[in-house]
This record gives sequence, C-alpha cells and structure tokens, in this order.
Amino acid sequence: MDTATEKAPASHRDKAEALVSLRGIVKIYERGGEQLKILDGLDLEIAKGSYEALMGPSGSGKSTLLNLIAGLDRPTAGSIDIGGKRIDQLNESQLARWRADTIGFIFQSYNLMPVLTAVENVELPLLLTKVPSSERRQRAQTALRVVGLEDRMDHFPRQLSGGQEQRVAIARAIVNDPALIVADEPTGDLDRKSADDILGILEQLNRELGKTIVMVTHDPAAAERAKVIRRLDKGQLK
Amino acid sequence: MTLVGLAARNVLRNKFRAALTVAGVAVAIITFLLLRTVLWAWTAAADYAAKDRVVTRHKVTFIMTLPLSYAQSVRSLPQVKASTFCNWFGGKDPKHDKEFFGSLACDTETGFTVYDDMVVPPDVLDQWKHDAQGAIVGDVIAKKMNWKVGDRVTLQTGIYPKEGDWEFRISGIYQAKSKAVDRSTFIFHWKYLNDNLPANRKDQIGWIVSRVHDPSQAAGVGVAIDKVFDEKEIQTLSQDERAFNASFLASISAVLTAINIISVVILVIMALVLGNTIAMGVRERTNEYGVLKALGFSNKHVVMFIVVEAIVIGVAGGLLGLAIGYPFIEGGLGRFLEENMGSFFPYFKIDPRMSVLAMFLAVALAAAASVIPAISAARLKTVDALKRIA
Ligand SMILES: Nc1ncnc2c1ncn2[C@@H]1O[C@H](COP(=O)(O)OP(=O)(O)O)[C@@H](O)[C@H]1O
Ligand SMILES: [Mg+2]
Repeated sequence: MDTATEKAPASHRDKAEALVSLRGIVKIYERGGEQLKILDGLDLEIAKGSYEALMGPSGSGKSTLLNLIAGLDRPTAGSIDIGGKRIDQLNESQLARWRADTIGFIFQSYNLMPVLTAVENVELPLLLTKVPSSERRQRAQTALRVVGLEDRMDHFPRQLSGGQEQRVAIARAIVNDPALIVADEPTGDLDRKSADDILGILEQLNRELGKTIVMVTHDPAAAERAKVIRRLDKGQLK
Repeated sequence: MTLVGLAARNVLRNKFRAALTVAGVAVAIITFLLLRTVLWAWTAAADYAAKDRVVTRHKVTFIMTLPLSYAQSVRSLPQVKASTFCNWFGGKDPKHDKEFFGSLACDTETGFTVYDDMVVPPDVLDQWKHDAQGAIVGDVIAKKMNWKVGDRVTLQTGIYPKEGDWEFRISGIYQAKSKAVDRSTFIFHWKYLNDNLPANRKDQIGWIVSRVHDPSQAAGVGVAIDKVFDEKEIQTLSQDERAFNASFLASISAVLTAINIISVVILVIMALVLGNTIAMGVRERTNEYGVLKALGFSNKHVVMFIVVEAIVIGVAGGLLGLAIGYPFIEGGLGRFLEENMGSFFPYFKIDPRMSVLAMFLAVALAAAASVIPAISAARLKTVDALKRIA
C-alpha cells in the first residue's frame, strides 16, 4: 500500500482540529562521521481524538518520528506544534515539564520500576504534579481499574505477566489525563491474546474517553484496530 | 510514595551489594575513628598533663641516676613549692609475667603530695607510711591482678637484683583524678628500695618532680634548677610535664603525621569504592532513568535520585560504623590499651566530635562520590538512555 489508509472521516484534516502538526521535519543522525537522514522533509497532522498506527520497515524511523512527536528528541529542521505549542523551540527542562503534562508513554518493554508496586508505578507521574498525596493513590487506583487490574494493585512487576505489566504501563500513561498517548510497539513483546487485550484497552481509551493515540507497530493486525494507518518509508510518510 | 522513598528503595535492589557497600563504609569509619582516637589519646594526654610540675633528670638520659642530695637542692629553691623523687623499679609479678605495669619507688613523705592526681584517702596513706613494705597501686592493675588490701605481692626486677625476693604488701589503691594518669602503677617506699641496695648503689634517684608556685613560670623554673647543677659533675635536664609530653609528641611527629594521612586516605578510598558501586548501579539502571525522564522527571530529579541513594548508603554505613566502633574502640581495644599500655594510652576514648565528623564525612563523601555518576546519568539523552537494556 502506498497511501495512508483512512478508515475514519477526513475531519482530522481540518487544521483547527489538529492536535499534532509537523512541518518539514528533517532528522539527521551522525554516525562515524557519516550523516544519516532518517526523516526527510516530513509533514504530518493528527487530529484530536484520532487513533493512528504508524507502520514501516524496521529502521525506517518510526521510533524517531514518535520520539519527536512526544518531545523526547528534537528535529534537525522543521516545526512541531502540539496543541498549539511549538515544542521544537523548548529547551530540555521545558520539554520535560511539557511531557509530564501532555504525553502518556507506552513502551514496548513496559518499563515499569521494579522496586515499585503496580499502584506506585501508576502514581509515579503524579509526583510531578500538584495533586495532593492522598488523592494520588486514589487516581492511580482508578487508572488501574480502567485497565482491569484492580486486583493486582500491590503486586510488583516481577509478579505480573507481560500483558498485565503492559496494562499497568497504560494506567501510568493515562493517570495524568494527557492530551496525547504515544505507544512504541506496545504489543511487540506480547503473545496474541495479551496483545489483543492491550489493543482492546487502547481502542476503548480512544473511543470512550476520546484519547488521541499514536501507535508505532509492525503488526498488521494491531494497525487494523487504529482509525488511521500511516506508512513511513525513505524518510517520508506515504 | 515519595521521590526520596523511591531512591531509598533502589538501595535495596541488590541486597548483597548494598550490604557489602554498607559494610565497607562501616569498616572505613571504624578505622578512621580508631586512628583518630590514637591521635587524640596522645595529644590529649599532653593537654591533660599537670601544668605546674617540672621533671628533673640526668642530662644524658633517663636511665642514669642522680645523687640523692640533688633532691634537697631542688627543694630548697624558692620557686619550688614541693618536690619528690622516684626510681623506676621495673618490677614484674612472676605469677603474671606477661602483664606490664609501671612500678616506682617514690619518697614516702612527698610522693603523693606532688603526684596529687593519684588520689589516696588520708587513712590509707597513713597506713602505707607505717608499713615499710607497703605499696599503693592503681585501681585497674589491682583489679586485673586481683590484688586486695593486705595481700602479699612479690616482684622481680632486672634493674635492682637482691638476695631474696622483693616483698610487698598492698596498703591501698589510688584513683586517677585526671585522664592523663596511668591507673596501673605500683608505688612503694623509696626507702625500702634504698635500704636493700648494695652500698655502691645507694642514695641514687631516678628523677625529681617539683611543683612550682606559678605554672606559667614552669619552664623558667626548669632552667633555674638546671643552673644549680651546671658546675657539678652530673648535670640535669628539667622540663615541665607539658613540654616533656610535647617533646615526646615531637619525637613521634612523623608517626602522628602518617596516622593523620592514613586516616584521610582511608576515607578517600571509601569514597572511590562507593563511587564505583554507585556508578555500577547507575549503569545497570540507565534505562530506568531514561523512563523517568520520558515521564517528565528532570535532570535534577535524576541527580537527586542517585545522590539520595548514595546518602542512604552513607548514613547506613556511618551508623553501623559507630554502632560497632564504639564498643570495639572504647570497650574492647581501649580497655585493653588502658590496662596494658596505660603509660602510652592512659585514656583511650573516642572524641565525640570525631564521631560526629565521621558520620558527617560518611554522608558527605558518599554524596560527593555519587555526583559524577549522577551527572553523567542525567546528561545522557533520554532517547539514548531508553535504548539501553540492562
Ligand atoms: N541515536 C542515534 N544515532 C544514530 N543513529 C540512530 C540513532 N537512533 C536511531 N538511529 C538510526 O536511525 C534509523 C531509524 O531508527 P528508528 O527510528 O529506531 O527505526 P524504527 O523504529 O523504524 O525501527 C535506524 O537506522 C537507526 O539505526
Ligand atoms: Mg522502533
């Protein structure tokens, strides 16, 4: 397939509704004196409330692009506007602050803190907010209920299955009520059944809670669950 | 849950490593305290020395004796309030010949007047004066040898051979009034010694100790005393006790400096080992710091996490070091040194200021040691940190 597959109405193309807007993004990595142009003048708009899958061959720059959207990295050139804010112009500590407020992360390998219980892991991002400590615990418990883990609150990550760990990670990603959830191969380490559970939760977050989600995946079955599928190839979105 | 709580929990991640590190810090702290206490014991002894006492001895060496008449000459000087004289007896109890204690033959009338920091009750003193073979002993040595008042004690000496044994009777026990006083000395009548010596060795004294009216003039009095004997066949060297102790310290100043340096080196080694352990833990957890940063934690937070972790180790190691160090240094070793080497270490206790300093250093050095790994972890770009798999 050469073009973005759109299963949803084209309303997200409306600029007023765009949550994410990338213009002329260039990302060059230098390795051993050699310059690698991973993203080459890429444009992208993602509407508020959309659920988009980002596909492409391994090494095509999917993670690189997702990290730019999430404010983890800065482009070599181009502008990134998220919810009306030019994040490519923020410095590192401003970006950290911005991520805490705006982005929910879901990683391929869950990345929970092994020394913290499930509910404490979910509480972690709230430590950066003004939410009082009594309320933090409650919010974390609510988020765990959303992902169906109310009976595993006090388990440590090593006591959970991969699918359960990823659900804790999703709870952690939504506990702050972020404007945008980014997920990099969230089902990459999971078996089919657990992967389907995770995809179900993401779908539910999008449909019922209106969360905007960008998910990198190379699993066609996972991508099918998204509203929009985009393909990255040779530094451009097709 | 708090950020500090999370940092503290990371310490227990690798319990074995944490235990080793804490033990390492504790050993360093104990060693530091021990060396510092040795230094303190020596220098404090100099500080506690009586300021108004002047010791006069043979100009050439301590081992050579002075004529008895010198004692009278010194006593008649106007600057001298009181004076006594003693001989070093070098006695040993044949039943406990491994036990070392000082034994002195001192002038009966003046001995405890001049050595007034050895406190003897008046009735005991009186009793002693009336027993030609009587001896007054320190409380520590009495307890160790199990000597009771009235006990007969036989001592042997290589310095003063005698036909038959040197027989004594314990008249009483003295208490130390100051920390500088050896609590293991055996004191008996100079007359008893003198009466039992062959004619050619009679009327010789080891040293003269004088108390002066004006402590600030002690050094000057020493000069005045030596002047009296300047033209005599045997010249003297007089020093106030403080100067005497100071000259002793000066003679071992290289040792003191070495101990001083080693005590610091030990802490530096501790910091390096600690820094390495922290760096190892940080390297293993680089990915986690990446996650924290992705979630919005700042570089400062990451530094804080790592430094707090180090501080927890420093506090734990410091407390453990003090908990073991006190009983070990004061109870075990200190007691042993006071009892067995009382003339070198009459008072072997940890300076409380040193334990505060040791604790502070354990924490401060731990924090300092973690700064480099902490900053390098914080500096790492989030995306790169995330890619590191432990
Ligand atoms: N920090 C970096 N330095 C140099 N090259 C990098 C760096 N990060 C990624 N790359 C390279 O950029 C390309 C795209 O990486 P990535 O975005 O992770 O791909 P994908 O997620 O699509 O598999 C790869 O060739 C990778 O080796
Ligand atoms: Mg990738």
